[in-house]
Order: sequence, then C-alpha cells, then structure tokens
Amino acid sequence: MAAEPLLDRDFLERLERLTIHWQKSFAGLVGGHNASRFAGPGQEFLDHRNFHHGDDLRAVNWRAYLRLEKLFLKMFQVEPRVPVRMLVDLSASMTAHGGVKFDYARKLAAALCYVGLVRLDSIEIHGLTNRLSQRILSTGGRHRIPSVMDALAALEPGGRTDYLAVVREFISMYSQRGVVIILSDFLDDAGCEKALQYLADFGHELMLLQLWAEEDRTPPWLGELDLRDAETGAALKVDFDEEARMRYTRAFDEYADSLQRLALRSGGRYAGISTTQPLESVIFGDLIKMRGIA
Amino acid sequence: MYFLNLSLFQFLAIFGSISAVSVALYLLDRSRRRQVVSTLRFWVSAEHPSVVARRRRIQQPWSLVLQLISMALLLLAIAQLRFGAPEAAGRDHILLLETSAWMGARSGNRTLMDIARDRARQYLRALPARDRVMLVRADALATPVTAFEPDRRKLEAAIDTAAPGSAALNLQEVLGFARRLQQQGGRHAGEIAFIGAGRTAELDPTVELPRNLRFIAVPDAIENAGLRKIGMRRSNDDADLWEVYVSARNYGTRPRTVNIALDYGPPGDQGRVPAASRRVTLQPGADSEQTFELRTRAAVVLGVTLTPHDAFAADDHAMLEVPAQPLLPVTVYSEQPELLKPLLAATSRVVAVYKKPSEYVSNEKGLVVLDRFAPPQRPQTDSLWIDPPAGASPIPVRTTVQQVPFSRWNTADPIAAGLRTKEYKLDQASVFETAPGDIQIGAVEAGPVIVARPDKPRIVVFGFHPALSGMRYELATPLLFANLLRWYAPELFRRSELSGGSVGAVKLALDQPAAASDVRVLREDGTPLPFVLRDRAIHFFSGTPGVVRVLAGDREYVNSLSLPEVGETKWQPPVEVRRGIPRALPLVPAAGEIWPWLALAGAAGLLAEWLLFGRFRRGRQGPRRPVRIRTAEREAVRR
Repeated sequence: MAAEPLLDRDFLERLERLTIHWQKSFAGLVGGHNASRFAGPGQEFLDHRNFHHGDDLRAVNWRAYLRLEKLFLKMFQVEPRVPVRMLVDLSASMTAHGGVKFDYARKLAAALCYVGLVRLDSIEIHGLTNRLSQRILSTGGRHRIPSVMDALAALEPGGRTDYLAVVREFISMYSQRGVVIILSDFLDDAGCEKALQYLADFGHELMLLQLWAEEDRTPPWLGELDLRDAETGAALKVDFDEEARMRYTRAFDEYADSLQRLALRSGGRYAGISTTQPLESVIFGDLIKMRGIA
Repeated sequence: MYFLNLSLFQFLAIFGSISAVSVALYLLDRSRRRQVVSTLRFWVSAEHPSVVARRRRIQQPWSLVLQLISMALLLLAIAQLRFGAPEAAGRDHILLLETSAWMGARSGNRTLMDIARDRARQYLRALPARDRVMLVRADALATPVTAFEPDRRKLEAAIDTAAPGSAALNLQEVLGFARRLQQQGGRHAGEIAFIGAGRTAELDPTVELPRNLRFIAVPDAIENAGLRKIGMRRSNDDADLWEVYVSARNYGTRPRTVNIALDYGPPGDQGRVPAASRRVTLQPGADSEQTFELRTRAAVVLGVTLTPHDAFAADDHAMLEVPAQPLLPVTVYSEQPELLKPLLAATSRVVAVYKKPSEYVSNEKGLVVLDRFAPPQRPQTDSLWIDPPAGASPIPVRTTVQQVPFSRWNTADPIAAGLRTKEYKLDQASVFETAPGDIQIGAVEAGPVIVARPDKPRIVVFGFHPALSGMRYELATPLLFANLLRWYAPELFRRSELSGGSVGAVKLALDQPAAASDVRVLREDGTPLPFVLRDRAIHFFSGTPGVVRVLAGDREYVNSLSLPEVGETKWQPPVEVRRGIPRALPLVPAAGEIWPWLALAGAAGLLAEWLLFGRFRRGRQGPRRPVRIRTAEREAVRR
C-alpha cells in the first residue's frame, strides 16, 4: 500500500496561483519583485495553468477556451531567476512531542516547493542538522511534485543542530546570493542568531519559518519533572508550577521576538507557526501577510 | 476474624515492609515525571527554576493509596483471611495406613489390609467435612499418596489402591515423617492416625511419640511360622557341592512343628525334583537354622518350602537361582601332550583337549596352548605359547641363551604373585624383546623369558619349556599355571555365595576386605544400587522383591530378595495414646473461602491504578492532550 502523500490534490490546486516573493535585488538577477515573470507577449511560452479569479485576462488562452470551454492561463519564462534554497531542520528536537514539528515542516516545505514548481522556479532543499545533508532538487514544473513529496517524506530526522557550522558550509557551497527559506524550531542550545546574521550579512534574503509544538511554548506538565533534552540528552530536574510555566512561555516568546527582529533587520521575513494551526491558514494567512508568497 | 496462613504480627510486618517500599518508590521515582523536551534553554532561563534535590511530597497520592489498598487485599488473600473463631476452622490430619507385608496375612476370609481399609474409611467419615486429610502409606518407608485433601472421594479411592508391600513396618520412621509433615503445614494440625497391626521393629523407648497420635488397631491374632533367610555357598572341598542354610522363625505364641523341604529344577512348578526334607519344631518367638547339601554343576532353581501353610503364606516359600559351574575349554597342540597333562589336570574347572599340531584350526574357543609349535595363523582367542620357534614368536626374540640361571619372578604382578624358586638353570631359553604394556613374568640376567601381553586376545609366551627344564621340579610351576588360568579366566575362580532374604535394608558381611571402588551392587537389570561399605560389611536398601548382585573382588554375592519382611515385635501403644475410631462430630458448615475475592479485588485495584496513573496513560495522553493554560494567563505571557 502506497504511503499517503504529504499534500492532497485539492490543496495543491489552491496553491497554483501563488508565487514565492522576494524583496532584495540580487546582483545580476531580476530584483525587487517577481512580477517580470509575467512579461507580456513575446516571451517564451512555458506552461498552462488553471485560471483563478484575479488573474490577468490578457494571458488567457482563448483558443483553448473555445475548444474546451475552460479558462487556461498561459505562462512565460523569464530568465535569469533568483535561486531559492530551503533548509529543513532534521534535528532530534523536531521529533520531540510525537514528531508533529517535523511532519508539519515537511508539509510546509512541500507546499512551498509546489508554489515554486508551478512558477518553474528551482528550489534546492537541504536537511539541516550540524551540517547540510539530504539534498533534494525541486525543479521542472508541477508534474515533478510527486517525486519531491516522496523525497521529503523519506527524510530521516536525527542528530543535533549546529547553525554556525551549517551556515559556514552553506556559504562555501553557494556563492550566488538568493532566497534562503529556513523551516526550523531554531532551538540550538548554542544560539542561532549569530549564524543567521552571518548568513544575512553575506547577502542572502532570509525567510525564517519558526515551527513550534504547543508543548514547546506552553508545557502542559506540572509538578516535579525529570527533563531530558531530545538533542543533547542533557537532563534537568525541575519543580514546575503555573508561575514557572508563565515564565517559560515568556522566555519562549522573547526568543521568537529576537528571531523576528533579526529577520526584519536584515531585510528578510519571519513567521512563527504553531503546529496546531492548519497548514492552509498558514500559507494563505501568515505567509502572505509577511509577503513571503503572494 | 483470623488469618489461616499468617499470624497478625507477620501480616503487619509484611504489609509494613511493602508500604514502606511503595512510599519510598513513589518518593524516589514515581512522583518524578520523565519528559523529553525539544530544548532545555527556556527551562533554565525561566526565572528561578526549582532544581529538586530530593522528593519532598508525593505527587499522586491517590495512586499510592490505591496501590496500598490493592497490596493489602492481595496480602489478605495470601494470608487467607477467615471470619469467625480459629477453632472453627478445619484441621489437617495425617492418616498412616500400614501397608507392610504382614498386612497380606489372612484373618478369616479377609486380609488384614481389607480390615485396615475399612477402618480408614470409618475414620474419614468420622472427621468434619472441612478437615483435610493426607494419606500416607506406612511400611519400611513413609510414602504420601495424596496431599492434604478435603475431597473424601479422592481419599477413599486412594485407600482402595493401597496394597500390602514386601517390607516390614518401621513405625518410628513413619511417625517421625508424619510429625515433620504436620509441622510444615500452614493450617491447624489435626491428628496423626495410624491404622494397622503394628508389627514392627523394636521402637526406641527414648523417642517421644506425637501427642496427637491415634492408634486404630487391626486385630491380628494369627499364628505364623515362616522362612527368614536362605543361604548357599560352594563347599571348600568339593566345587560341585552346595551347602544350603535355611533359617525359619515361629512368630506365634505356640510351638509349631513344620516340614522344611528342598527341591530343584527349572523355574515353575513343572519338572521339579525333591532334594531334601526335614521336620523341625519351632518354639514361639525362636529361630531355627537347618543345613542341607545339594550337589549340582548345572544351573537350577532351588526351592525351599515350609509346610503346613498358615494364614500368612507369603513367607512359606522361597526360590534361589543357582548359577552353572563355569568351565574353561583348553585346546593343547603338542607332540608330547603328556608333559602338560599334569599341569592342566590339577584344576577341575578346566576341560582340556589335546590335539596334534597338524590338526590346528585358528577358531578354537577358550584357551589355546601351543607347545613348541608356530601355527600358520594365530589363534583368534587367548593363547599360551611355550618355547615357540624364534622366527614365529608373537613377542620378538631378542637373543637365545644357554645354561643360564633363572634370576627373578615379577611377584608384583598377579600372574607371578606368591612364586618363589630356588636357583636353577635353564638349558636353553629365548629372551624376549618386550613392547610397552607387556608384563615381564620371569627373567634371566639377559632379559625376560616369560612375558604376558594383556591385549585382547591375551597372550603369554614362555621362552623355554617348563616341563623340559629345571623348573619341572619346582613347586612354582603348577602355581604359575593356576595363576595363568586365573588371569585368563577370572570368572572361573570367582566364588559365589547365594542368599535368599527379605526386601528392605540388607547388611552383607564380606569374607575379605575390599575397597569401595572394587565393590559393585547391581540390580537384576544391571543398574547400580547405592550402598555403604562400613566395617567390612555392605549395607544397601531394596524396596522391591528381586535379585541384587554384589561383586567384591573375586567374590560374588547373589541376594534373592523374595521373602516378605515381617516385624518381630508387636507394638503396644502407651495408655495416653488415643485409640479407636473417633465419634463422628456434628457437621459445622465451613467458613466460605474469601481469598479468591480478595485476590481479584487486589488485582483489579492494581489494574485500575495502572490505567489511571501508570506510564501507559502518561505515555499515551501526555503529548496528545496538553493542559492548556487559562486564557488570561495566555494573554499575560503572549507578546
């Protein structure tokens, strides 16, 4: 029996009118926005997609409409493109609390990949632990989404996170600047702010998608706890009460704020995503609101 | 209310220990919830994280209470909590039913065993229904037939299967066993009821009898005389003559005149031949020993019968298997057989045949003697080579010497044991080259001239002819041949002693000292029987009739244990011992068994605790159903 796909067809169809957005101008590349992807007549035809409300009527393939009585939109290729890279956190902390964060990250990555594939963007996906691992290339149009989803579903989590080492490896591997989407809980004991700042300073545009399980932000347990870090195995014994829980949540929120400030300060974007939120509301709500996609 | 299996102090001690362990485990382990989290940074950075050095309070008091209640219920079940007074509870009785050989004696048209079974059933009916009874067969040993059993039908079925054995009653051993059984039992001890005739070995008067002993006598006013022991051994003067000893005893109170008759023949009643008969008067309580002679070389079965028969016929007849006289066939190949005939004729168990060397065949049986003759093919059996040709000797000849004095015997070896000769010369002798393992029997200065090779088949080689040398005048010559024959066929000279006795403990006095490693005690089927060798006597026990064979050096003792063992004295219990069948007690309904319900309740409590508080629940529901903080709190900490 085949494994259930990460995303169903209906949801994917709703993603077709979206596109990944970036703000920076990259040297030698089309910059500022990606409206030029929809250049007027005379550009190289790429593909058709279903017509959605709000699409430019000038791009409708009327011949197809006359034959099929269905609106199709013509798409044209614009070269060169901005490289889009995505880092998906595979560390053991993502598997804590039943692995909800890891599952959510894979689904979100698959959705963003589909958005990119529809626009014929190439997205390189890397696993993120203490190094870059498990590279997946998402390219070639929407019909490649099944193989991308299979590859995402086959990702194996485990290990510790080391953002500094990963950023060093990333910069040495990709000298061409571009958009870097990071799907992670950003729970590196050594701190990830410095590494992310380093990445932004190098010229990449950051899109930080911080995922957390409800237990990460608001621990449901009370009393005497014997805690164990999922990544390092370090243990801590605490007496946890309501007051301590409030302090904990406050510290978590402060950390999320610091990540957001870092992203905005460096011209990037940030979204904090709870795994209890429906994926659809995140994509059509939070990500559009922060102008990560449009 | 009382406990059947534990005292109140024991119950409280055990429950206190269990409670202490449970509370300690809760404080040490159970109250601390283990949780894997994504990171520890917010726990540490939260203001004033309380690092707990040791447990101060129990986090799940209801779980602990439920566990303690469940354990208390289980402990109550183990202790067998009963309502009412302890005296109303059932007791455990031990019923010793005598199954000695004497119980096979007839009294009227019934055996004593039948009467004892009736008494046992009557005793069971007289006991309250809640009492449990263990049935023990009592003869030389005490053998439990049932556990402490409340079911009377099972007990009666076990009583029906009880049958007389072959051993005598050992009342002291049986009573001691019953007392130990009752001391180990958890319930209130009831009576030790002995049902039997009480004919036993002498009781040690210093041994205290159980206070709860009840003696239910089986009347046995029976006049009996019987065989006690039979012994057979070969006469020292005549190998074909057996000396037979018969011992009989009058167990009754009046003198009896009996006839002791011997017959022999094949097993069974057919074809038997009377051998001897003697009329003897046996005094009350006295033994009489009679000696008979029986001449036979063949294997027969000797029967000894005491007539007229009485009410206990089992000890009136005994049979002994008499083994055949073993013979050694010897084939002598010689041109001068008259030289060897005197040496071989000296032993009556040797059957010698003399043949010419030209008649030689290699597949003779027994022993082959080759006198100055080398056959074309070696004998397949044991052989004695006398002065063989130098080139054909089975043991290589190193050299030939002439006119040399015989120098020594190897008296350390059984073949030359006890040999001593004056100095004499050998006109001509072959000196042999021995191999490892060869035994040098006799030697001259140049080397061995008589050599034995103990491999199969055995070989002895003489380098000279004993009858054609100075040795023929020596006394050592026939002794050497006798030793050689014993070496070739030790079973030929094994002395057999047969005895017929009764089963049970047997003490066998040895004629000569023997090491325990040289002694073997074997059953009829050849399996070894444990024994003790003490003071030149072998002690062993056989509980079933049969033949026990004892091998000690060159002696063989065959014990045919077919006679029943009868106790010599009749036990008279002291006056304080209760007697007879007790009066039937009114039936009191037994208290209901509540321990199964207690055990079930305890198990249910533990199961409920596991479902409500166990890790099973925490593991399943913890991450799935997080406790949500109140909205006001959430708003307070939200950005």
